[in-house]
Amino acid sequence: MKKFITQKKGQFVIIAVLMIAIMIISIGALMHRAVTYYRHEPWEEYLTLIGAIELNSLRLIELSLANYTNTDSPDQDILRTNLEKWQTNLTRMYLGYGISLNSSNCCLACDWNKNSSSSAANAAFSLNIASIGLTGYKFMAKAFLNLTILNKIDNEINVTVRGEDGTHITSLREDNFQVSNGIMILNITSVASYYEPKEIHIYTINCSENMTTPITVKVWDERGIQVTAKYP
Amino acid sequence: MIRNGKTGQMRIIEAILASFIIIFALSFANIFVITPTSPKYEVTELQKLGYNVLHDLDEQALLARFIYNREWDNITAALRVLLPLDVHFSMTLYDLQGTTIDNATIFYGHPETFASSKNIASVTYGLAGYATKINDAYQAIYEPRIVILRLARG
Repeated sequence: MKKFITQKKGQFVIIAVLMIAIMIISIGALMHRAVTYYRHEPWEEYLTLIGAIELNSLRLIELSLANYTNTDSPDQDILRTNLEKWQTNLTRMYLGYGISLNSSNCCLACDWNKNSSSSAANAAFSLNIASIGLTGYKFMAKAFLNLTILNKIDNEINVTVRGEDGTHITSLREDNFQVSNGIMILNITSVASYYEPKEIHIYTINCSENMTTPITVKVWDERGIQVTAKYP
Repeated sequence: MIRNGKTGQMRIIEAILASFIIIFALSFANIFVITPTSPKYEVTELQKLGYNVLHDLDEQALLARFIYNREWDNITAALRVLLPLDVHFSMTLYDLQGTTIDNATIFYGHPETFASSKNIASVTYGLAGYATKINDAYQAIYEPRIVILRLARG
């Protein structure tokens, strides 16, 4: 031991070990930085594909409800028919992906001619994409529109319009509303909106003629879904 | 004297060996380096970009409006805004029978880019339909459209 310590070569051994250690650590750090600098995540492409199918399935529900509420003789099976077509056509649209979309619990309903009236449609979906091994991805799609007539003062009607989850629809204009008194369609002079604490967002529909009750108000949202409400 | 000379040779050999180790380690690390501009993933990167752009437009209910109302200038402008400047695009629309809609020319970039580029990404996006207002009445018909967006870097 004494001999080893007193030997001058021992110093070189220590220096060499230190240098090798520094070298190994530096190379390790360099390699770590190199391999983690950019990581390709192949599933990102499929996330948008799943999102696109989910979004357009919702669009289909909205479209079916718009069709149902805008027809004089509504077809009760319109949603089911459209869903069946959509399931078949998806496979043709995205060839090679092995897409299979199944729907269940589809329902379409209108509760109209009341103070608070609604149109609603919904369906549950299960998506499989064979090319990425995705099975049983479940999602719900629902479309909803509610029109509530709050009151009528002279030739003014105050209403609220709500969408899914009770969110207020704030982008409607004159051509989205129609008011009639059971005999004729009244001329809407302006539609103003304001915010208040209880109902949050209220539309005030001004008509040129004095209105006699009962009155009927129709509303169409941006998706073309219609609701008809009656007051009182 | 001879002894000192032998030690010097060993040092040189050690230095050469150490250099080899460093060069080998650097080249080995280089194999794993994948930069964002790597040609290996260029196509998938463009595909992701294309899907995201179409999905964003669809979420804002603009894609269906532009396509079903045949607003070709608006869709070209929207894609030019949303895609990076160096990404050239060409969009074609089909119905379910595979017939092109209106032979719409939704295009940006040089035609040679698509002819000469090795990395062209193709994105397929399906639309279900759109409720259009005709004569104060809404028509909501199931009428699927297939959007094919081709992307290449110019």
